[in-house]
Amino acid sequence: MLWRPHHLIRAHTKFDFLGKRRIALVVSTAINVLSLLGAFVFGLNFGIDFEGGIAVQVRAKEGTIHLDELRSTLGALGIGEVSLQEFGDASTALIRVQRQEGNAQCVANADRVMKHRAGDGWSVKPGPGDTGDVEFTAPGGLDAANWRDAVSRAGLTAQERQLPRGNTNIARIDMTHDQRAEWCQQVAIKLVEDTIGDKYDFRGTESVGPKIGAELMHSGVIAVIATLCAIAIYVWFRFEWQFGVGALIALLHDVISTLGLFVLLRLDFSLTALAALLTIAGYSINDTVVIFDRVRENMRRYKKMGLVELLNFSINETLARTLMTSGTVFVAVLALVLFGGPVLYSFSIAMLWGVIVGTYSSIWIASASLVYLKLRPEQLRTSEEKGEKAKA
Amino acid sequence: MLNLQRWQTIVVIAFTALAVLFALPNVLPAGLLDHLPGWYQQSRINLGLDLRGGAHFLLEADLRSVLNERLTNLSDSVRAELRKSQVGFKDVTVDNGRAVVVTLRDEAQRAKALEAIRAVDPSLAVSGSGDVIQLAYSDQDLFRRKKEVIDQSIEILRRRVDETGTIEPTIVRQGDDRILLQMPGIKDTTDLKRKINQTAKLTFHLVNEDIAAAGSNAPATLPPTTSLVPTREGMQQLRATNPKAWDEIQNANPKLSPEQICRRFQPQCLPVFKRVVVGGEDLDDAKATFEQQQGGRPIISFTFNAAGGRAFCAATRANIQKRLAIQLDNEIISAPVVQSAICGGGGIITGSFTTQQTQEQALLLRSGALPATLSIIEERTVGADLGADAIHSGTIAAMVGTALVILFMLAVYGPLFGGFASLAMMVNMLLVFAGMSVLGASLTLPGIAGLVLTVGMSVDSNVLIYERVREEKENGRSPFSALATGYERALTAVIDSNLTALIAGVLLFGFGSGPIRGFATSLTLGLLTHLFTATIFTRMLLSTWVRWRRPTELPI
Repeated sequence: MLWRPHHLIRAHTKFDFLGKRRIALVVSTAINVLSLLGAFVFGLNFGIDFEGGIAVQVRAKEGTIHLDELRSTLGALGIGEVSLQEFGDASTALIRVQRQEGNAQCVANADRVMKHRAGDGWSVKPGPGDTGDVEFTAPGGLDAANWRDAVSRAGLTAQERQLPRGNTNIARIDMTHDQRAEWCQQVAIKLVEDTIGDKYDFRGTESVGPKIGAELMHSGVIAVIATLCAIAIYVWFRFEWQFGVGALIALLHDVISTLGLFVLLRLDFSLTALAALLTIAGYSINDTVVIFDRVRENMRRYKKMGLVELLNFSINETLARTLMTSGTVFVAVLALVLFGGPVLYSFSIAMLWGVIVGTYSSIWIASASLVYLKLRPEQLRTSEEKGEKAKA
Repeated sequence: MLNLQRWQTIVVIAFTALAVLFALPNVLPAGLLDHLPGWYQQSRINLGLDLRGGAHFLLEADLRSVLNERLTNLSDSVRAELRKSQVGFKDVTVDNGRAVVVTLRDEAQRAKALEAIRAVDPSLAVSGSGDVIQLAYSDQDLFRRKKEVIDQSIEILRRRVDETGTIEPTIVRQGDDRILLQMPGIKDTTDLKRKINQTAKLTFHLVNEDIAAAGSNAPATLPPTTSLVPTREGMQQLRATNPKAWDEIQNANPKLSPEQICRRFQPQCLPVFKRVVVGGEDLDDAKATFEQQQGGRPIISFTFNAAGGRAFCAATRANIQKRLAIQLDNEIISAPVVQSAICGGGGIITGSFTTQQTQEQALLLRSGALPATLSIIEERTVGADLGADAIHSGTIAAMVGTALVILFMLAVYGPLFGGFASLAMMVNMLLVFAGMSVLGASLTLPGIAGLVLTVGMSVDSNVLIYERVREEKENGRSPFSALATGYERALTAVIDSNLTALIAGVLLFGFGSGPIRGFATSLTLGLLTHLFTATIFTRMLLSTWVRWRRPTELPI
């Protein structure tokens, strides 16, 4: 044998984990309340997946990126709030622009895009009446070919049912306000491209319209709730109801404090962040289940032991595997944080936090809840009495 | 019992061998792969758009306008039919997006009016009382129509964005009224939008029978009103017999006009009048059906909107026994002889068609215009270099993560147990790759993250088992007994703790799209397969080792 196995911690530890349960309760409650407050007061930094809007990754053609210059150039475009951050290295930036509304400003922007892309003779105006209609005016006569080319340049697709007929140079596109709002995301991308395209390469662009954003938000919330409930029900099914409730409290703790982390670090809350949240929910319960499994086993074996004592004993018995299982995932996620690149950064940081907080909550939240939920009340009483005697 | 039965061992080995077999096409060189059967070649992991670069569009069809338009057409037909049956009416209006409302002048004519309406479309749902008649399409009919619109849009999109058939776009229906369009390798979306907007131009022209009667395929002189257009048959013949000429035509820049093609390459051509009788934008629908009489030959029936119907009626009345050429882009797809004036707002094309041919032709006729306006509600493009960066960082993270986990396991459980767990983890990765290959799943950047997580999580089950073995060993059990009890007693904890993560993975798969789905796929698959590798596979290794070395103490 080249080397001997190393026990991560010595066997038969006798830490009094649950003796500290009141401190843990106070600290965890504080963290969770602060997280929720933070989420309501400062808000989550929702990415375009949920908010709608556009995100563009650009790289400077020469030298490094000048965020201030970019900010002032793009801020003056009339496309609303623009946020910039360095992305991966000093010559790359992620530009995020707020969701575009289908207002008059957007039509004015479309006018600029058409003049830039199709020629000065073109213009775009809102249509008459209170609909989302827009009118394209061509410098000369319109035929199907130059009309198609022009609307493609403005980022419109497949409007051929609205082909101009007869001798005209004005083409009206019938749109509802909602349809126009969807199109306005395209307009904003084109405008950004036209404005900074000579100095920057566009590595990737994303645009999410208002409709999809709202839908993803809705189904995301449902997915989180469904996941938490499904896991809690499963635990309840496999153990006693107290275990299910304990698991649910621990899950809520993990998810809420992860949201707090997103608020604190202003991390981008995107679809991948939501994936991280669900994965944390699914994974952080692993340790809990291992401890619960042992608690159940010990309960059958040591019928006379007090609950707090029994829980402490079980946690100590399973401590090595709790730390080991978390440790293996921790080092794997650490590799993602360090080398996974900027796209996965929010995800990886959240996961890293999730692994740590999941281990903590297995011991101090999930197991401690069993005490408060009075699992096997008669046992709990003997344990409390012992405590009183010891104090006296 | 620690030992596996013989059949269990065989199953484990066979399973692993199958995994190797199905993961193999991912790494085989293309030259070798070409010689292997198709189903085997297909067993590969596709890179997601975020890794290979490309464009992703989510398009929403404006079904409401389609319905409104359809109701407007219906109101036209109803009006015409009522006039024909001499039913007096005050008004025929379209109730926005729902129904056509007929207001009669005289209640007594209601029965006559209903009869006339039945002649237009017997499947209409009729309601209302007194002098008011409301007409609506049935839910079933609307559902079918919606599906038709989306299916047709998908067909047309495919024709437009993939003219050459080499890009392999993914175009699928999503939900009720949406179409997902994914084009790998495309970065310039303006160009793509131009292609999407590139309507196939469908026109009806009269054939200049005087010139055609002269018998020459490409007469030297033509009157200024007439031009030469190749037939579709002719072009396909040319493609088969003279591929070089075909390539030249496809790649010509500027594009050759139909007449130039006729003169230079001499495919079968027809002289047609340049004047357009009816344009494809006036064509409402075309479908493959069968003739009512005469043995039910396959035919194509088509309908025009009101304007198209009038123009078509006038043109056919004046040109009986002449041919009417149907031109799609720069080819004549068909030139049927006009048998009689066609004034019913539509007509049929007969000929010696097979059923398949009529279906193709109907599709071609329909591919003139998209049936609904499609607007982009989500667009994501990834440049190829960004994708390459993602692959690079993903690969490094995966390798470092795997190395760290292996080191960790070796340090804590020693070279034997740690090594077996690591080996099982690698086999698990192999299984995940094989599974994704067989499913044809896409590997995305979040999917790589899912793989890294799987690496960390799949050794967890071994941790649970090993820790239990350590406990049993301390309880004074013999090596063999400690292993056997360890595996047996840890099993419930292994399954319980993994099922919760599986629940999260499955729900995530249901919720997510694109890259997130890739994450859910690799994570869920990894957790499922590791239940096999972490338990049975390592048990096989350890039991073999125990039988071979007969150890007095377990090195754990």
